[in-house]
Amino acid sequence: MTRQLLHHLLVETAERSPEATAVAFRGETMTYGTLDAWSDRLAHLLVDVGVRRGDRVGIYREKSSGSVAAIYAILKAGAAYVPLDPHAPPARLAYIARNCGLRWLITAEEKLPLCRQMVEKQAPLEAVILPDVVPARRSDPAETLPPGVRLLAADAVAAQPASPPAVRGIELDLAYILYTSGSTGEPKGVMISHLNSLAFVRWAHQAIQVRADDVLSNHAPWHFDLSIFDVFAAVLAGATLAPVPAEMSVFPVQLAEFIAQTGITVWYSVPSVLNLLLLRGNLKPGAFPRLRTVLFAGEVFPTPHLRRLMGLLPHARFYNLYGPTETNVCTWYEVPPLPADRVAAIPIGRAIDNVEVFAMTEEGRVAAPGEVGELYVRGSTVALGYWGDSERTARGFVSHPSAPFHERVYRTGDLVRQDEQGDYLFLGRRDNQVKSRGYRIELGDVEAAIYAHPEVAECAVAALPDAVVGNRLKAFVVTRGTRPLSPSELVQFCSNLIPRYMVPEEVEFRDRLPKTSTGKIDRTELVR
Amino acid sequence: MSVLDVLRDFLVNDLHWDPRRAPLTPDFALIDNGVVDSMGIFMLVSFLEEQFAVEVKDEEIVPENFGTLGAIAAYVERKRQPA
Repeated sequence: MTRQLLHHLLVETAERSPEATAVAFRGETMTYGTLDAWSDRLAHLLVDVGVRRGDRVGIYREKSSGSVAAIYAILKAGAAYVPLDPHAPPARLAYIARNCGLRWLITAEEKLPLCRQMVEKQAPLEAVILPDVVPARRSDPAETLPPGVRLLAADAVAAQPASPPAVRGIELDLAYILYTSGSTGEPKGVMISHLNSLAFVRWAHQAIQVRADDVLSNHAPWHFDLSIFDVFAAVLAGATLAPVPAEMSVFPVQLAEFIAQTGITVWYSVPSVLNLLLLRGNLKPGAFPRLRTVLFAGEVFPTPHLRRLMGLLPHARFYNLYGPTETNVCTWYEVPPLPADRVAAIPIGRAIDNVEVFAMTEEGRVAAPGEVGELYVRGSTVALGYWGDSERTARGFVSHPSAPFHERVYRTGDLVRQDEQGDYLFLGRRDNQVKSRGYRIELGDVEAAIYAHPEVAECAVAALPDAVVGNRLKAFVVTRGTRPLSPSELVQFCSNLIPRYMVPEEVEFRDRLPKTSTGKIDRTELVR
Repeated sequence: MSVLDVLRDFLVNDLHWDPRRAPLTPDFALIDNGVVDSMGIFMLVSFLEEQFAVEVKDEEIVPENFGTLGAIAAYVERKRQPA
């Protein structure tokens, strides 16, 4: 059988170097042999509890070696993995579970009360698997989950054979679904096939020259598409994956120590994390001697900060990767030494190998260099569409505007311009999507959460540019006036509906909101 | 108001922690429970510097000083002592 699926990367590396370190986390390591065998056992257990090819299985836990094994186990069982934000409100997670029919969840003990809340909100869970928990040490499993939901622990995994389950798959099969902010108040699930993912992973492995002696950081959480490079390129190369413990992101000096002590050679994160490291990490020139490559994506890296960071790490190469989740990564740019007086943003660069990008003007022509247009992407990295939403899929994944036969391309909604060197520059959005800390946020999604409060008569959310995090959200609200409403109450209300990064930091109450001549809220006037 | 009360108000009013999710007792873990995240820590540091006129050094932004309300209060008290 030819090996052309994502999990075959693990099978092949484990055959080649079973004793090499696959994952290093909190002082413990797991070899490729163990990762392969453990994910085989977990895959068999999934098949035992009813998971079939094409099903969706959730991963609802923090990063660890066990989480990496869970990703590969789900793929080995022929299913698609659906990573759930460990800090999102249960109401939003229950929506995702209902939306894509999540009947199985791989999670951790501390998440059980939240799993219960998800079931109470109609998540169709049938079984919850705790691969790290030894049953004898569990207090009272019956109390934590509603009747009818099976609970399986480490003993059930260990009882399974360490050989891959006989599941046939092809590269067009769904590999995972990543949920991102949707403009109508509900997240949308981007469907990525094995082919989509591998087209990117193989390119990245080659372009970044990932080697077996590399140590790759894993900063992004599983539900964020930056983690795809980490989890699959590391395994393809037989390198070591080093997940960054969550608390490190809060304490930059510790994050700096982590990078140095773990011997990270390839770092990948959103720019805001690198910004915090620069501003509060107490970095000395020449810090991280082993670090050879710094990749960043997800938002614009302010040029002055980037220049300072590059000055402190002169031995590392810096790359800007660009691409909405729907395209994995579609363009890249190696950052050259930046002149001291440069303030303009760096380009998003050119298409990666085997991918084509082009810009279309408002009039429907291909934009000439220098002209503004919307960026379109063509290639195997382009996603299958949105789960259960053919209408939105049809709007985003369109027929190639100038091909002589039907061919699907993705229109990004990003406005770009090509410079004299042929590199694309990101100029802004065609719609109300903004980025904060690398996360995509549809302002309509945030407004929908605010409108859910019974006291709110009218609202608009604006993104205020910020050098560190990209954008900060501010809500302008008109209340019904039947009872007093404080900013804190409204913000806390929202935090039960949407993830923390989407909750506005500031709320301003107004008597009315400015309107345009057509009666729409005047967003330009609003933030003036 | 005690330092602890001022800090608790900040976490509720500025970092928007909903006390109904979990009350902010002095030993409640602020990082693990998501009360303070990577952005929150910087708002918190700026607040301390302004409110209590202390200078927070990079190497002092560690869990021992910022892991719980009690830890932050103790840290502020130490910083306010004349050297």
